Amino acid sequence: MSSSAPLIELLIAMADDELVLGHRDAEWTGHAPILEEDIAFSNIAQDEIGHSLIWYHLLEPLTGLTPDQAAFVRPAKDFRCCRFVAYPKGDFAYTVVRQYLFDEAEQVRLTALAESTNEQLRQAAAKLLPEETYHLLHTKGLVERLGRGTDESRGRMQAALDIAFPQALGMFESLSSEDQLIRLGIFPGHRALQRQWIERILPVLSGASLSVGVDGSGRPLGQPDLGGRIGAHTPYLLEALSDLQRVYNSEPGAIW
Amino acid sequence: MAEMSEAARLTDFEARIDRGEKIEPGDWMPDAYRQNLIRMISQHAHSEIVGQLPEGKWIPYAPGFRRKLTLIAKVQDEAGHGQLLYAAAESLGKTREAMMDELLSGKAKYANVFNYPTPHWADVGVIGWLVDTAAVINQTMLAQSSYGPYGRAMRRICYEESFHIKQGYDAVLAMARGTAAQRLAAQEAIDRWWYPTLMMSGPPDSMSTHSRLALRWRIKTKSNEQVRQEFVDHIVPQIRALGLTVPDADCAFDAATGHHRYTQPDWEELKRVVSGHGPCNQERLAVRRKAHEEGRWVREALQVAS
Amino acid sequence: MTDTQWSTWEVFHQTKRGDPHEHVGSVHAPDPQMALQLARDQFARRLKCSSLWVVRTSDIVMTDYQDPTFFAQTTDKSYRDPKAFDAPEKRHP
Repeated sequence: MSSSAPLIELLIAMADDELVLGHRDAEWTGHAPILEEDIAFSNIAQDEIGHSLIWYHLLEPLTGLTPDQAAFVRPAKDFRCCRFVAYPKGDFAYTVVRQYLFDEAEQVRLTALAESTNEQLRQAAAKLLPEETYHLLHTKGLVERLGRGTDESRGRMQAALDIAFPQALGMFESLSSEDQLIRLGIFPGHRALQRQWIERILPVLSGASLSVGVDGSGRPLGQPDLGGRIGAHTPYLLEALSDLQRVYNSEPGAIW
Repeated sequence: MAEMSEAARLTDFEARIDRGEKIEPGDWMPDAYRQNLIRMISQHAHSEIVGQLPEGKWIPYAPGFRRKLTLIAKVQDEAGHGQLLYAAAESLGKTREAMMDELLSGKAKYANVFNYPTPHWADVGVIGWLVDTAAVINQTMLAQSSYGPYGRAMRRICYEESFHIKQGYDAVLAMARGTAAQRLAAQEAIDRWWYPTLMMSGPPDSMSTHSRLALRWRIKTKSNEQVRQEFVDHIVPQIRALGLTVPDADCAFDAATGHHRYTQPDWEELKRVVSGHGPCNQERLAVRRKAHEEGRWVREALQVAS
Repeated sequence: MTDTQWSTWEVFHQTKRGDPHEHVGSVHAPDPQMALQLARDQFARRLKCSSLWVVRTSDIVMTDYQDPTFFAQTTDKSYRDPKAFDAPEKRHP
């Protein structure tokens, strides 16, 4: 059990991130700015939730929880998603910015996992990368276009980014078993991933006339929004999970 | 051709339809045919868009991965169907901007069923199973429509609708085999949706002003009564096979006709609901308006950025 | 009513390499790259797809259904139909 604890911690963090973000994305289904984008965001939501399912499947033999139990029964205090993914969907600017920042993080995370010493993680990462790469194409395109669109769109995007950037840094909050994971070659650690992530997003954001607070050497300024990885969540996660788990737990013994 | 008289063109047009040939965008067509099609197709498109809402409400609450992913995909399909149908109407010269405007201003009509509330998860299953079965019977007929783009859109939609029916049936099946409370919830949902679903196929044709022309020009090929009877004959045995009840004591198979008898729904209720006075009309349109208004800056910005 | 739903693009879908591209519908999109992405999500989310084309609807040039002369073949052209000849169908029977 103790030997798999670091892997469990990493898998739960990744699974919970994807599940909660997918849940938030799905709140756009039926409410997006135009029909075509409604369809596009519903695809992204399905992909993210589907990806969480892959991680929960890997967890099942380690924790004894089926994916449904892990997602639909587990109490909020046991969730290890970053706070970032749980915030309400906001306006479309916030949703696009969040999804874009997440997609870039997925790129560096999955690319690193594709080289992991853990065979299952390598295989899962290879499976997830193509869909994540497509999300990135779409959300990056939206960031670029909305950033240089109208005064209103640029203003909304910058305002969303000002809120989302410190939150997004929470994606790279260290795990308690971070050092072990690095030593075992399972993944290169969140500090390295965050550095790669910032290198990727800076040129895209500046190309979209958007800016984030980083110092001259690319280190983020301001306070990152941490706590999710140790279970110190905001009320927004409780709210999201209360929705997500409502029907599943509404009737003792029921199978839906 | 230019000097062909209106009467000769109409004769030509009707002969084409009688031969089973399709009408395509750019063909000459009587204005009444064009207007009838625009009205039908745009109403159909509006129904899909508004139809996202009653079930979409349950996306955050859907129990378990399979149900949640399935429901997102299903409601996504409804956006997709709306998209396809608007495109078919656009081929007749009406812009999507104008159609959206008619929907949001409350001028346009759309299917009655989407103006009823969905208070329980069971409603999601029952809508997929009952409402989409009725829809597919109608849409399979419309796939034969004389207007090419409408028929083409319908063929694709029918394929996806069969997924909708199956996922709905599957959700109700789980409840029918479940706890007493689940069975009760499934039955109550059927009780809620039975008559609204019967109304969906439209009033009896003697009452329908548009049906006569639509039939003559093969925009549709079956009467409202035929479509409704087909639905009843198809669904009643399925409902009973699950141990659930059709909420109509007079509903029974009549060996003499080979069809099920059923009690007609309240046609006054249909009139009220379709003309904007159903239980959820205001709420549905308010949600659509909000999405439209809040999305305006996105549409404008992308238009400018390109 | 100053709303924009963007312009329309016709979408052509190829199921697998070697197949022809077939017209499957249209999408509203602000530019060609977005049109391809939105067409993917609308037309290739279930169907197998190896390639998509999009073309601005207004760029399509079409024949006129009203003009019966354009495709007219009113004189005998049977001589160029293989069925007009008795020769064996396959070269190597």
